[in-house]
Amino acid sequence: MKGFSKLLALIALLGATAATSAEENDVELIVSKANHVAFYQGNDGRAESRMLITDGGGNRQVRQFTILRKDHSGPDDADQDFLVRFSRPSDVRNTMFRVIKHIGNSDDRWLYLPGLDLVKRISSGDKRTSFVGSHFFYEDISGRSLGADQHELLENTDQYYVVKNTPLDPTSVEFAFYTVWIDKQNWMPTKTEYTDNAGKIYRRIEALEVKDIDGFATATRMKASDLRSGGSTLTEMRYISYDIGLPDEVFSERSLRNPPQQWFKRK
Amino acid sequence: MIKQHLVNFAFQQPKRVFLLMLVAVIVFAAMMPKIIIDTDPENMLPSDQEDRVFHEAVKHKFGINDLIVVGMINEGPQGIYNTRSLGVLHQLSQQILNIEGIVPQDVLSLATVDNISQDGPGTIRFQWMMNQPPTSDAAAGEIRNAVENLPFLNNTIVSPDGIATAIYIPILHKDQSYRIVAEVEGIIDSLDSDDSFYITGLPVAEDTFGVEMFLQMATSAPVAGLLVFLLMWYFFRSLSLIASPMILAMVTIICTMGLLIGMGYTVHIMSSMIMIFLMPIAVVDSVHLLSEFSDRYHKDTTPEAAMREVIDHLYKPMLYTSLTSAIGFAALALTPIPPVQVFGLFIAFGVMLAFFLTITFIPAYVISLSPERLQKLAETTPQDDNNGPLANSLKALGKGSLARPKILLSAFLLITAVSVIGVNKIIINDNPFQWFQESHRLRVADKVLNEHFAGTYNAFIVLEQHNDAELQAAFEEKTTAILEQAKSQSVDLTPLWQQLLQSADEIVLSEDNASIYPQFLQNLVLKIDDQLFAADAEHIEYLEALLESTEDVLNTSKYFQQPEALAYIEALQESLLTTGIVGKSNAVTDVVKTVYRELNEGTSDYYRIPDSSAAVAQTLLSYQSSHRPQDLWRLVTPNQRSASIWLQLKSGDNVDMSQVIAHVDDYITSHPLPAGVEMRWAGLTYINVVWQEAMVKGMVTSLMGAFFVVSLMMIFLFRSILFGLLAMIPLSATILFIYGIVGWVGKDYDMPVAILSALSLGLSVDFAIHFVQRLREMVDKEGSFEKAIPLMFEQPARAITRNAIVIAIGFLPLLLSPLVPYNTVGMFLAAIMIISCLTTLVILPILMTYLKGFLFKKAQENP
Repeated sequence: MKGFSKLLALIALLGATAATSAEENDVELIVSKANHVAFYQGNDGRAESRMLITDGGGNRQVRQFTILRKDHSGPDDADQDFLVRFSRPSDVRNTMFRVIKHIGNSDDRWLYLPGLDLVKRISSGDKRTSFVGSHFFYEDISGRSLGADQHELLENTDQYYVVKNTPLDPTSVEFAFYTVWIDKQNWMPTKTEYTDNAGKIYRRIEALEVKDIDGFATATRMKASDLRSGGSTLTEMRYISYDIGLPDEVFSERSLRNPPQQWFKRK
Repeated sequence: MIKQHLVNFAFQQPKRVFLLMLVAVIVFAAMMPKIIIDTDPENMLPSDQEDRVFHEAVKHKFGINDLIVVGMINEGPQGIYNTRSLGVLHQLSQQILNIEGIVPQDVLSLATVDNISQDGPGTIRFQWMMNQPPTSDAAAGEIRNAVENLPFLNNTIVSPDGIATAIYIPILHKDQSYRIVAEVEGIIDSLDSDDSFYITGLPVAEDTFGVEMFLQMATSAPVAGLLVFLLMWYFFRSLSLIASPMILAMVTIICTMGLLIGMGYTVHIMSSMIMIFLMPIAVVDSVHLLSEFSDRYHKDTTPEAAMREVIDHLYKPMLYTSLTSAIGFAALALTPIPPVQVFGLFIAFGVMLAFFLTITFIPAYVISLSPERLQKLAETTPQDDNNGPLANSLKALGKGSLARPKILLSAFLLITAVSVIGVNKIIINDNPFQWFQESHRLRVADKVLNEHFAGTYNAFIVLEQHNDAELQAAFEEKTTAILEQAKSQSVDLTPLWQQLLQSADEIVLSEDNASIYPQFLQNLVLKIDDQLFAADAEHIEYLEALLESTEDVLNTSKYFQQPEALAYIEALQESLLTTGIVGKSNAVTDVVKTVYRELNEGTSDYYRIPDSSAAVAQTLLSYQSSHRPQDLWRLVTPNQRSASIWLQLKSGDNVDMSQVIAHVDDYITSHPLPAGVEMRWAGLTYINVVWQEAMVKGMVTSLMGAFFVVSLMMIFLFRSILFGLLAMIPLSATILFIYGIVGWVGKDYDMPVAILSALSLGLSVDFAIHFVQRLREMVDKEGSFEKAIPLMFEQPARAITRNAIVIAIGFLPLLLSPLVPYNTVGMFLAAIMIISCLTTLVILPILMTYLKGFLFKKAQENP
């Protein structure tokens, strides 16, 4: 038994070494691979997400939603469509969120509120606002543009590439820089820590569980912690499938009021 | 007899007395460095007091911290909406975020809050109000428009006239506020700005008071001590003689304070005044003793003989005056306010210690003086010997007053009547800001900011829905019906259902009882949802029905999301504005209405509460997509079971707060709270009212109790009901006159004023005891009241008057203190001394003249 686990460790180590030598500290390549793994697995996908939001005082809230995603044809790891349908709490059921993500340009975002029977466009601008009251920011869900930061490889350990990301426009964000730990095994960014202007780490995002789904490394449990208030949000991703063949019409404006049931249904 | 043993010990082993005192001083002084200062008025209530516990729970539940308010004012034409001021504000806000001990994510300022606005047709925009300072007047004007468009910012963050803006800094611990303010001031000094800055907030007032109180303890008390020393030197003209009362006072204070600190009590605003209260009391007895000693000690007696004679003579009155003072203060233990209890009990201890030292240390000291010194002492005539100015005026006073008994007695009765009217005019009121003088920078800041803003004093009305039992009944009814129906179709869901209920129950571990049931329902929803995926086909239909029912009940539980509930809050808020004291109130309604309006193109018609619970929920969900979703939870809990209305009050006076409370009580009587909803108050301004009410009630009990016990003691001491009651007259008159003055002058009856009743009681009975005791001895010796009474205006009257003057003048330096409670004590000490001295020397002799037939039967019968 002991010998077997040693063997496993050795294989893992060999794999890691192979990866390192192939990429040889090319930090841009590292971050773009990580970006791909975190946001661009497969051509499209579906997942059900459940967020448990706990504030500093221990109060708990739930947000449950299904998310559909499709990459635009054209260059890899670029523009994408998202459609999100909320199911819990039941008073926000069928609230819809539609996003067209543009690389190098601001995203288009719409919200449909069934209780008000209202479609609202949400002004582009700041992406570092809370995602529906959770400790995740909108940008954590949709991905931060690689061109927004300057990347620097801080450390190259057996297990991780540690990359420091410094914003090119410091006035547009609330952090001084953030540090990402990228797993050499699967290129998954497993931990991100945000440092404020006073040099204090105040925010952390972790991938607590990474699973292989349809051959794609996928973070299935993620946690965002606000170290100042002590609050955190745990996101569980379930019923995930990739390359399901989502048609373009699914992501049309019409879907806000008439969500395409067949794609949202759990299978 | 104990007295003999003590006095003999002092005479035989004076060195031992000194050594014991020295050891005591070293031991108790060694405890002093452990001092913990506590200026938190919340501690006026026991930590388990109901309102205080609730206040703490509310702070925790809504994540509310105590606030420091930094105000910035620009009187220019654009107010603070000019590029330079906003630049400074931005810089200041950013730097404040780096201060230790604050809650950076909750700091409220133009530079940290969100703006919700329209961004073209159909588009809503969430952005920082002022992420970067504006570079043009037009941009600054846009910020102004944005602020004025958002009701929860307008008049809270910027004043409606645009002249003042505020930064609200939540702090983790109140006892850090003095340091945090110092750091904020440091930042302000480093800024290049033309604006004026003001810092306020209750925690600042409290912590600043603590720091200045410490300074006062180190300055006022010693200065008063010095002045008392100088006055005594004036009267006795012998440094060696008067050094002893000063030493005695110091030893008493060190031992009492050392004991208090050593026993682990905090030094509160009250206990900081222990030394100031103890000094006069400790000095009084020894002044009596020395006064007589210096009168009796001549060349032909030994100091020991003279001292023994004096002690024999004064032991009883001294014991009784000490006991009465001690009882007056110990009675404060009857108040329900811990710092006042500690204050009263430790003063009582100090008084008895001073008495004990007076009959041991003073004799030991006197006989230890070198023969030359004693020689000198015997030769020096005190300043006020039998022919001095004081002596002559007292003799004149005696003669003069006894010659016009009717006029003086009528005047006394008239003053009494006027005082009674004054007492009825007393306004019970307190406000920690008024503990500072008007010119104090904190009072100024408080005034200026409240002129511009809706109010810097906070109180919270907390509404809680407690209908858990009803929810549970509804839940059980609905789910049982589904399970029954399943059973009728021979599907047995019970084991699975029980399992689900149990697993949902396990997670519920909230501290807050009110949220347990909704939390259970929320867990259950997730459990059923999980189960659905793995469920047998025949179960699915029923599980879905169970899920729907559970969600229905969960939805109903979100009470403060329902339009009716919000309408109640809205109406209550409107009514609060009519009080004229509440400048503004902030509640979840304001967020809902504003966001609802912005979702509807910013049209003012939509500044209202939406029609359905789901619409409210979705409005709030939209709000949570901002930079500061957590701001919502300061106003309503995430389970929507509790809501808080934040009241901004223009005044922190308890009378004003009480008026608001009465207004809300009336409102609730005429507009009953919705079913299941309970209303309670929280917030520091409210807590101050609670402890003040407890204090006033407690003081009445304590004063009555002490008065009764002291009356009994007087009757026992003089073995005569009539003498006992006569001796109570100066004390009663002093208390009545002083509170009469308080009423007429319009000074608020606040904590220091309340406490002073104990001091009056303790000190003003002293003169009467001495006077009556000496008079009876004199009548015995001289044979008749007529012969005795002129003699009373010689040595005995001098001792009383010296005491009164030393204390009245000695404590006048307290008037220079920047802290009002210290001024009050200084003023009151003087008033107590003057009134009780005059009543004793003028009114008692007159009354005794009328009553001499009853008072001195034996003496009159055997001339």
